[in-house]
This record gives sequence, C-alpha cells and structure tokens, in this order.
Amino acid sequence: MTLSSTLRPGRAAPASRGQRLWRQLRSHALPYIFLAPLVVLLLAFLAFPFGSLIYYSLHRVDLGGSANFIGLRNFVILFHEQRFVQNLTTSGIYLAGNLAISLPLAYFAALLISSNRRGVGVLRTLFLIPWVLAPIVTAVLFKTLMNPSSGPITFALKWIFGHPVYLTLTDWGARLLIILHSAWRSFPLEMLLIAAGMTAIPVELYEASRVDGAGPWKQFRYITLPLTRTPLFSALLLISVYTIQDAEGVYALTQGGPGYGTEVTGVRLFKEAFLYFNIGLASAIGLVLIVLSIILIVFYLRILGQGESA
Amino acid sequence: MRRTRLLFAWLGTFFVAVVIIFPVYWGLRTSLVANANLDLFPTQFTLDHYRELFAAGFLNNIKNSLIVSLGTVQWTLPISLLAGYSLARFNFAGKRFSVVLLVLPLLPAIAVLVPLILYMRVLGLYNTLSAVIVASTVFSLPFCTWMIRGFMLSIPREIEEAALIDGSGPLRALWSIDIPLAAPGLIAVGIFSLINAWNNYLFSFAFTTKRALQVVPAALLGFITAWGQNYGGMNAAAVVAMMPVLIFFLVFQKWFIQGMLAGSSK
Repeated sequence: MTLSSTLRPGRAAPASRGQRLWRQLRSHALPYIFLAPLVVLLLAFLAFPFGSLIYYSLHRVDLGGSANFIGLRNFVILFHEQRFVQNLTTSGIYLAGNLAISLPLAYFAALLISSNRRGVGVLRTLFLIPWVLAPIVTAVLFKTLMNPSSGPITFALKWIFGHPVYLTLTDWGARLLIILHSAWRSFPLEMLLIAAGMTAIPVELYEASRVDGAGPWKQFRYITLPLTRTPLFSALLLISVYTIQDAEGVYALTQGGPGYGTEVTGVRLFKEAFLYFNIGLASAIGLVLIVLSIILIVFYLRILGQGESA
Repeated sequence: MRRTRLLFAWLGTFFVAVVIIFPVYWGLRTSLVANANLDLFPTQFTLDHYRELFAAGFLNNIKNSLIVSLGTVQWTLPISLLAGYSLARFNFAGKRFSVVLLVLPLLPAIAVLVPLILYMRVLGLYNTLSAVIVASTVFSLPFCTWMIRGFMLSIPREIEEAALIDGSGPLRALWSIDIPLAAPGLIAVGIFSLINAWNNYLFSFAFTTKRALQVVPAALLGFITAWGQNYGGMNAAAVVAMMPVLIFFLVFQKWFIQGMLAGSSK
C-alpha cells in the first residue's frame, strides 16, 4: 500500500462515494460544458435567425417588426420578375467566368511554386497577397486601374484598339471587370490546395514518363491533372460557393451597374436588405442563395465521393 | 525542353510582376501623387490625400476597426479553444454532429444577416459596435473551432495522459500541456479571425448607420460612392486598410497557411 501511494504521488486519498459520483458526473458533463458557449452562440445567432429567415420569407415585414403572412408570394414575385431571373443568370456567368480564368492561373502558379527552384518561397508569398486583402481594398485597386479617365488599363485598351474602350460603361465590360477581380482574388486559394496535392505526387512518375518520351504537356495532362483531382474539386467547391454568394466585391466595384448588368444575386440581396430594408423579399432571396449553395456543395461532394470509391 | 522551361520562368516572372504587384503598386502610387499626375513612375509626391483622409475623420474609423477586430479575437479564441479541445479529446453522445462546423462556413452569411438586423434592434444592439463584434465572432467560430480541433488532434494524447496520471485534472492538462503545445495553431486561429474581422464590411454596413461607428472597410465603401473621381483619396484609404493585413500576413504567413490548409482539407 505504501508502495503504490509512493508510485502515484499526486493521487488523493481514497474518495468517498459522493466524491466519486461527483467526479464521474463532472467528467461526463465536461465535454458539454466546454462546448456550451459555442453551441449557445450558434443557436442564438445562426440557427434561430435561420428559422426567422424562413418565417420572414413567407411574410410581408415592415421595420417595426410586424409581419403579415402572404404565403409564397415573395417567391412568386421573385421568379416572375425579369430582374431576378437576370440576377441568377448573372451569378452563373460570374461563377463560370471566374472558374474559367482562375483555374488555369491557379495551375500555372501551383506549378511555379511546387518546383524546387530558388526563390519559390517569395513567389508563394506574393501569390497569396490577393487572397489576404479585403474585397473592398482590391475593388478600389481594380476600379482605379480601369477608371475611364485615368486608369492605365483604359489607356492600354485605347492603345491596343485604337479607340477608347470603357470597360465599366457596358454590361459585358463591367461583367468582365467583376470576373477578373474575383478570379484575381480566387486563384491563390486554389493554387495553395492544388500545390499541396502536387507535392504529394511521387517524382518517380515524372522520371518514368520522361524515359517513355513524354513532354511537359503530356506529363501535365496524364500525371499532374489526374493526381490533383481531389484538391482540384475541394478548391472548386470552396471557390464556387464563395463566388455564388459574393456581394462585397461586386457591390464595391459596380454597385450592380450599369443598370442591372452586374447585379448578381448577392448584390440584389445586399440592396434589398441593407439599402431598402425590404426584409421579406430579402429573406426569400437569402433562402434562394442558401439553396444554391447547398446544391453546389452536394454536387461537388458527390464528385469527390466518387473519386474516393473508384 | 530547356526552352520551355526558360519560357516558363520568364512567363512566371512577368506574371508575378504584372498581375500581382502592379495593382498594388498602382494603388500605392495613386495615393501618393496629385490626381492629375498620370506618370507610371512619378517623381513628385504629396501626402495631401492622406491629410484629406484624416481630416474626414478616418482616425475614428481605424479606432472602430481595432475595437471590432480585437474584440472578435478576444471572444473567438477562448470559445473555439474550449470547443475544439472538447471535440478532439472527449468522446460523448452527439459528437458526430460536429460536422456541421465544416458546413456552416460554406453557407452565405449575408442571408442570415437579414433577420439579424431585426434581432439586433430587439436586443438594443443596433447601431453599436457590439453588434458588429457579435456577428463577426459568430461567423468566425465554426471554422476556428474546426482548426483548433485539428491542432489538438495532432498533439499526441500520451503527453496529456501522463499529466492526468500525475493527478492533474483535464482543465489543468489543457492549460499546462495542450495550450502551450498548440500555441502555433492558436496564433494561426487568432490571426485568421483578426484579418477576417478587419477586412469585413458587411457586418458594419448591416448593423450601423452612423458614420462615427463605421469600420475602415465600410468607410472606404462610403468614399467610393461619395468621392467619385477622387482616386487619390480612395487609394489612400485602401492603403491604410491593407497595410496592417500585409504586415501581419508577411510576418505570420507560415502559421497562417498551415492553419488554412489544416482547416480546409480535413
């Protein structure tokens, strides 16, 4: 007995039954106690508002908080409205354009930073800068580059085409602007994920393919691309979801203009909620945005799941 | 073969110089010269735009931003630390629901902000910085908790068990074993939520209407609409908004990237 107590110096004297019960209770309750602040906050400020979102989307709400039940009227109004249909298609164009530009950029940058040349660390740092800057900051930078009176891009376009081309004044020009901006912001995260996948590819594969006479393009097409499938689709999932929800970047750049030319769904929601305080309609748009996000998440997760089972 | 590699290196350098550096350089340049000056490499500089900015009360916006971002970190860190530790170390009923934490950051925060405006009114928080801090904390919590869970899982359990056998309780083990060992992860989480809070204008825009309560990005949005063609002033504000982020990122980037990869891949 003395032996065992010297072996366990910190052990207290044998506990009474009550003490043991208390200790057991504490060790069972402890995980929940630790989680409690998180769960309470998420319930109060996420789950509960989400419930209200559904509720408000079925009501006409004024700022005093009084709500009249109108069924699905908000949704009927939205989907019969040409403007909202255009909001959705603009979101689709925004997403497709972003991916079409940012993914090749991301692969190119990932190839650059996953080689073991000197100075690669500096490159990686520089590439990540667009991603850490605030959307509002990069929007100001892009606005300045493209502004009709003194932007260097405006001058460059004038020099190339021989006549002034004002990106911000036409629908497609403004769309190109918001797409370039979001692709610039999106490619670093894609690059980071893809590069992490690239470093996991065994060097022997490339060596063997070189012996078989494969050039850089074939190596990329038949080794790099298939073996970075999982990080590619993770990146696609994240960027697609962020892009379809984006309001900050687009609103700062164009406020949805000219006209409704760049008014993506997020910007429409932003305007209805924070500028016009149209809570009912904004809630309905919010729900549409949530459903769109869930569709994207499920779509990409299924593709990822297939890759793992195959 | 050699030629393609050379082409690659050349293209890469060009790409970095033009695509990444130029927009930032041009912004900095524009903030430091008179608006009529269009030189690519100007020789005459002025601080007028910055003076103008601070005359417009920008210092107050910086103060608000500091309060909001530090407040967010102050609440996010302890809450996500406890929750992340609990998820990594204990087995309990309902633990599998923690996957929700991975899905939440993928859903649009802006949608939930709509009813939250009315909530903040009812709570009497509308038009206060507290509302911005609460929202910013709540929306950063799921991802931060998941990150901390990952860092805790990477600490070998045996170290902690040794401490438990020595007679210290779980709280003490957390304090003296896990927190010091997970310190790099905690720093990553802190910086992540700090930068996110500093960069965001949605919460400030949604919950405050007074100019005196706006954070830097929200004030910057105001300048865009109010100043129209004053690109010098706008870019001065943008430079002030991005400097702390750039400095923080350059100093802590290793931890920051680690944290992001740990959080988004598993």
